[in-house]
Amino acid sequence: MDSRKILIVDDNADIRLGMHLRLKANQYETFFAADAFSGVAEARKHRPDLIILDLGLPAGDGFTVMERLKQIPFLAVIPIIVVSARDGLGNQKRAHEAGARAFLQKPVNDAELLAVIRQALGEPAGTKKPTLYDQGSV
Amino acid sequence: MKEKPLQILLVEDNAGDVRLLREMFSKERRDAFQLTHLLRMSEAETHLAKGGVDIVLLDLGLPDGHGLDTVRRAHAAAPEVPVIVLTGLDDEALAAEAMNAGAQDYLIKGQIENRALPRALRHAVERHRMQTETDLIRTHQMQFKDEFLSHVSHELRSPLTAVRQFVTILLDGLAGELNPEQRQYLEIVLRNVKQLHSMINDLFEVSGVQAGKLKIELQCTSVSDAIAYTVNTLTGAAAAKGIILPADIERTLPSVCADPARVRQILIILVDNAIKFTPPKGVVRIQTRIFEEEPAFLLVEVSDSGCGIDPDMTERIFERLFQASDPAAADHNGLGLGLYICKDLVTRQGGKIWAKSTPGQGAVFSVTFPIFSLPKLLAPAFSEERQTERPITVVVTELGSQTGWLSNEVRADQCRGIRDLLRGCLYSDLDVLLPKMDSAGPVELFFIVAITDGIGGEAICNRIRKQLDSSEHLRQAGLTHSTFYRPLEAIQRNSTESKEDFLEKVAIDIQELMSKEISARQVRNG
Repeated sequence: MDSRKILIVDDNADIRLGMHLRLKANQYETFFAADAFSGVAEARKHRPDLIILDLGLPAGDGFTVMERLKQIPFLAVIPIIVVSARDGLGNQKRAHEAGARAFLQKPVNDAELLAVIRQALGEPAGTKKPTLYDQGSV
Repeated sequence: MKEKPLQILLVEDNAGDVRLLREMFSKERRDAFQLTHLLRMSEAETHLAKGGVDIVLLDLGLPDGHGLDTVRRAHAAAPEVPVIVLTGLDDEALAAEAMNAGAQDYLIKGQIENRALPRALRHAVERHRMQTETDLIRTHQMQFKDEFLSHVSHELRSPLTAVRQFVTILLDGLAGELNPEQRQYLEIVLRNVKQLHSMINDLFEVSGVQAGKLKIELQCTSVSDAIAYTVNTLTGAAAAKGIILPADIERTLPSVCADPARVRQILIILVDNAIKFTPPKGVVRIQTRIFEEEPAFLLVEVSDSGCGIDPDMTERIFERLFQASDPAAADHNGLGLGLYICKDLVTRQGGKIWAKSTPGQGAVFSVTFPIFSLPKLLAPAFSEERQTERPITVVVTELGSQTGWLSNEVRADQCRGIRDLLRGCLYSDLDVLLPKMDSAGPVELFFIVAITDGIGGEAICNRIRKQLDSSEHLRQAGLTHSTFYRPLEAIQRNSTESKEDFLEKVAIDIQELMSKEISARQVRNG
């Protein structure tokens, strides 16, 4: 089976690279966008299986991206995982209402991110490479 | 400058007193005061709600309101309008209480000098205005500070994410094998990153504490599990200092009514502190028992063999930003927020926290949590106005996922939403939505105890199904739900039986039913 495609939308290049390395090690193919506008454009171009979305972005924000994707039928179905440094209280609710599958707060725990991705993609347990050093949040 | 006349509302039912007061005002300039007189509190409330009143002169003995109650009602009707109470000579104690209840001042009938009344009114209005202004400034300052804290902790999180990601990428060998020395140094980096992370969380949390926003979801919680989690999390930190952290956990203790995540958080803060302040090769101990002084509470004690706390400081340490001034403690980094957060969390779960210490001989931190009691939770459903022989039904709502797996994240988030929905589906305020009792594997179960009063369990179920079916939230999250009911076999309360005994009996039956439902699902999924 071809590896599943994941689009990472985050304006921080280091975080994009970090996520890419972790996802690549787990046999996912990755694409990138650094702002809200290219987030939608890249989604159109690559039709990913899943999108990891930051909320604070140039040229709009994560909510704008979700809003736009919702209007495009073949993109509206892509599961979205919001990964943001913003506080969870109001934004988590808002993200869920906008259609996000999950809300994870930065600094994100890779083990948890992988678990949520697997769940959103409907993949069986045990397919990920274990992350020995990133369990527990504190 | 010509001042606007002061709009005075006089609420007084004694005609003689009204005449006297009117006379006093008649001696003033006509355009300085405008007096409106009402006889009843209910009229006064309506009038105040309309606005335009500068000050209220309030009698404490009205036909439809008495004593402090009238002050509270006036205050509720128009919080921004100052109130001066009028009392008799022998009521000065009551007047003082009225001040506590929000009155600006009091005047004793028969002792009001002519010219003093207008002055008292003007002063009261001015004083009230200044107080309001100060309050407003303070609120703004607090708000600014909270926003600032929230902003800073947010800005710090992004770079920290990148640091953490790359350290773990290196440690997991994704960029090639590491030699033992490199590994050791990276582990030091990771440990410090985690510490920084927890400090940022404290910062953020404390801005939440201030705003009272911290979510607490009370449920049936095992303290033993929380202790096991804490010991497991901190064994490494303890071992690094050669500190023994005994892991003998009492398993027979009753559960408490608390939020498990918060109980873990409290214990982690306390044990982490104990480890920090205990010299190498010391002992940190966690003990639990039923609290002798209040048997409805479970007591958890965290004791250490550290430097101890100055007895004068045992209360101050729970204050915000408190830092030990002791030079020996100065290198124990932290923000001085941990114990403050602890106290807030413990108090909001209905417990208490305190510390005792003999300097040089260590400290003992004690926390109490209310013991979980099903009969107590059920009590409202069987209140006196309800007939206890009516049929009792237990409604079960099951939440699952299409993928057959609910992550903890999903659980915490969705369950809160479902809980709110279910609360809205109850037929009566007296029906009880029970807190989470236990995890049932891949699904989440909610239990409602309802007295069906002829409606029938099916009607309640239908109502709940309809609500959940129309929940966009559930649909988008890919969650499934089902709702059914189990009538409880008729339990009769015989005439000699006390309400407590009866509740105990009902609780046992409900507990049994719930355990059956929970274990059926746990078995199904191994």
